[in-house]
Amino acid sequence: MTITATTLKLNLGPQHPSTHGVLRLILELDGEKILSCEPDVGYLHRGMEKMAENMTYIQYLPTVDRIDYLAGCFYSELLCRTVEKALGIELSLRVKAIRVALLELNRISSHLLWIGAFLMDLGAVSPFFYTMRERELILRYFEKLTGQRMMYNYFIFGGVRKDIEHIDDIEEIIKILPEKLDDYEKIITNNPIFLSRTKGKGIIEPHIAINNAITGVNLRASGVNYDVRSNDYLYKNFEFSPVVINEKDAWARYKARILEIKESIKLIKQALEILKKEQSLNQNLINPLTIKLPDGEYYHEIEAPRGMASIYIKSTGLDKPYRLKWRTGSYYSVNFLRSLLVGEYLNDAIAIFGSLDVILPEVDK
Amino acid sequence: MFSIIEGLFTVIKHLFMKPTTLEYPEKKRYQSEMFRGKPYVKIGNDGCVGCGICKKVCPAKAIEYIQDNNKKVISYTFNLEKCIFCGNCMYYCPRGAIKLSQEFELATEQKEELKLNYKGGCDD
Ligand code: SF4
Ligand code: SF4
Repeated sequence: MTITATTLKLNLGPQHPSTHGVLRLILELDGEKILSCEPDVGYLHRGMEKMAENMTYIQYLPTVDRIDYLAGCFYSELLCRTVEKALGIELSLRVKAIRVALLELNRISSHLLWIGAFLMDLGAVSPFFYTMRERELILRYFEKLTGQRMMYNYFIFGGVRKDIEHIDDIEEIIKILPEKLDDYEKIITNNPIFLSRTKGKGIIEPHIAINNAITGVNLRASGVNYDVRSNDYLYKNFEFSPVVINEKDAWARYKARILEIKESIKLIKQALEILKKEQSLNQNLINPLTIKLPDGEYYHEIEAPRGMASIYIKSTGLDKPYRLKWRTGSYYSVNFLRSLLVGEYLNDAIAIFGSLDVILPEVDK
Repeated sequence: MFSIIEGLFTVIKHLFMKPTTLEYPEKKRYQSEMFRGKPYVKIGNDGCVGCGICKKVCPAKAIEYIQDNNKKVISYTFNLEKCIFCGNCMYYCPRGAIKLSQEFELATEQKEELKLNYKGGCDD
């Protein structure tokens, strides 16, 4: 990157309030126009992958919630799934339903936070408080069930920590959420300021999104029907249709997340039906002190709120992984900013960046 | 124009709702039974027998204990500088000797206070 006399080099972050954690974007500006963007990641690096090489599987399990602290369930599920599949453990119907219900609740809480934070980035303050209020209901439920608000440590190899309780709380949450979503939509969706800041901004063409390995809601908001949940074994008996929108811009990504919450509510309802029918937990728990994955390589993926997440483990037959790698959606979204922000104006940069729903612990790991 | 009025109306509606926040620290909210806060351990005949499982499942290496010549645990320490409150020790202790309590206000000026030491004999 050469800086000429007429261009300005600007550091956005790492302490900018709307960089969601600690992201530094090195922008080269010509007036207000962005000529180049260079994301500088690593401020939140905790060595999650290297750490695994020195820990047994049961020791590693509680720490994976911290890869994405807004949606910890997804990463526990991935690690549990890898061990379960490697050791040939089958999950009972009830355990599967519990997992689906909690994953989707977790997804809703993550999307709710995103809606608030995104609107806050654009300068609207009230929706932030409203979404936080609803998210709080979900977090309190998680606290009641698992003991903590964000670091659940609830899914374990072969099942769940204990049987699900307080189902009426979930019912209450999914009953009031649709009204609240309507409230948000009344404030946000057709607001002229919001529209002018998001409509037509940060357009991602489908083929470019695919070439840049963008997944999740960001991809579906560009009109590509790709949702890992469609082939996921947990979701096998569930009916749902991926949310696909063709607008491709920041507004589409907002709308897609609202619709996705509604889709999640449907999934939770189906899971609750199963929970009511299937009363026996039937866990196949294994002794955590003796877990050893057979020699070989393992790969599993899941649809996390910020795109496809996957895990790769190479095992040499010991009680610790030989090598472990996470794939997270946000990492690719941040990388994509290099080309996405070029040609846009500085005041749109945050709107576009915010619309991708990036969370930095997931990027830095 | 209509959308602005509709939005404003929704915001104004919220003016007449009950507040959802609490004046911490004067008022504290209900803490669930399951909450994982400051850890306690019971030492003695009906408590810890020094099997070492908690040490093996702890991701943060936060647990240390000392045994006497008869393998009886005489001192047990949680290092809260390292502990991540995951609860593994509580979940896997075969004697049910560990309990993570509802106490969460653990900030202190003295670093030594974060080394929670429990000795046998009394329930300190
Ligand atoms: S697992 Fe329980 S009984 Fe065993 S050493 Fe730890 S506290 Fe003591
Ligand atoms: S709560 Fe977790 S980190 Fe803390 S002492 Fe127990 S096992 Fe170790």
